[in-house]
Amino acid sequence: MDLIDRYLNAVAAQLPQDERADIIAELRDLILSRFEAKEEELGRALTEDEQEAILHEIGHPLVVAARYRKGPDSLVGPELFPYWLFAVKAGLLLMLAVQAIVLLIHLISGPADAGQAIAQAFHGFIGTGLWLVGAATVAAAAFEHYGVRPKWLTSWRVKDLGAFELADPAAWGATVGASPRVKLWTAPKVKVKGWPGGDYLFSFLATGLFVLWWVGIIHFPGLMHIDFRGAEATVTGAPIWTTLYGAILFYAVAQMAVDLASLARPYAVRMRAAAEVVIAGAGLWLTWTIFEAGHWFTLTRDGETARIAGDWVLLDFDLLRSLGEGTRDLVGVASSLSLIMTWVLALSAIGLVFKIVANLWRLVQRDPRAVA
Amino acid sequence: MSVDSELFESMRLELRRGSLVLAVLARLREERYGYTLRQALASDGLEMEESTLYPLLRRLENQGLLTSEWREEERRKKRFYRLSPMGEAMLSALAGEWRGINASLDKIL
Repeated sequence: MDLIDRYLNAVAAQLPQDERADIIAELRDLILSRFEAKEEELGRALTEDEQEAILHEIGHPLVVAARYRKGPDSLVGPELFPYWLFAVKAGLLLMLAVQAIVLLIHLISGPADAGQAIAQAFHGFIGTGLWLVGAATVAAAAFEHYGVRPKWLTSWRVKDLGAFELADPAAWGATVGASPRVKLWTAPKVKVKGWPGGDYLFSFLATGLFVLWWVGIIHFPGLMHIDFRGAEATVTGAPIWTTLYGAILFYAVAQMAVDLASLARPYAVRMRAAAEVVIAGAGLWLTWTIFEAGHWFTLTRDGETARIAGDWVLLDFDLLRSLGEGTRDLVGVASSLSLIMTWVLALSAIGLVFKIVANLWRLVQRDPRAVA
Repeated sequence: MSVDSELFESMRLELRRGSLVLAVLARLREERYGYTLRQALASDGLEMEESTLYPLLRRLENQGLLTSEWREEERRKKRFYRLSPMGEAMLSALAGEWRGINASLDKIL
């Protein structure tokens, strides 16, 4: 009896309270019947090994209990699995891109311990990557459990399938590069795009990652540290970021909201264009305010500090060309980064201006779809 | 060309899976309990693991196709199953479906 009891207790523990007694009684009957049949066959009582063999045949307690479970058989069922897989792949690739950029910045400013920088980036990727996979799985499991099927799963159109070429990172570069301002530069001819949603999805995910980092939910280890031949320098933000914290968060969330709306209505081009004009305008104001603040970061190492700051003076092509020639000490690196930051802000402003112009153009177009 | 046994096994299971419910329903036109049901199916040439049979019976009962009651027999309590009226109707509907499939396949094979 002891063997059977131990087995049944293991099964019982996995069963829901209300059905437990009933199912266990049934299983006990099943086991005893099997024992009896075997005893009849052998003409004697069963040894413990033979009893165990029969229990083995019936199955492991976890498996046996699982057969009585109501509800879906898998965490992410066959219907949802392809979507889950795509979301995970896209998310991981995006994160890889961000980590790679962070790593690049490190390696530019201090190759002293490239090994450690790479190790840190790797560590960060694994950490945030696991978090991402976990979040995607929980979301999918919730959908599966409650039988939710969002509309974009059930009613899709072939012409909307452009985004799903994005699983290939090579294609991402092409899509991002083909954003409106570049197209305006190079080929202002009428072009019918497949699904504009690809850009919006990418923008949504990228901005989403930024927001998560901005509010401190995810961290990119090593982002705020730069290595100098062994001694680490810390990067701290200037007061301007605290002042603009809320504004930047709002800007990013607004951008995400517009991306989300555009995903839902990819062909509501005029609506998106109008929203983008407003957001780009806000972005332009933010960029201007940041630029005017002048001081953006401070590098600190062993009590020594150097500012990453800049203004119009740094917008000089000659300075840009001599970027790599600076000294490798704290001040030298700070001035290199100051130069880079100044140019980044300037180019962002130019980009935003083009964005405004492109979207105004879309607003006045007779048939916005053709230019979308 | 000989058959890959693993592949054959999995395809064979797929083939049998649907017919087993029909067999269970048909066998329960008269009252049986789990163990004798399994014996009956085995003698009909339809081997089925108890561990899959019992949950199936439970599910069919939840769906209203079977009724059950606990009774003492040979000093042990056993659960006896039989078809409910809805189960009878379902059985004849499914049997008709089965005969149709059979006829179609006979023509092809």
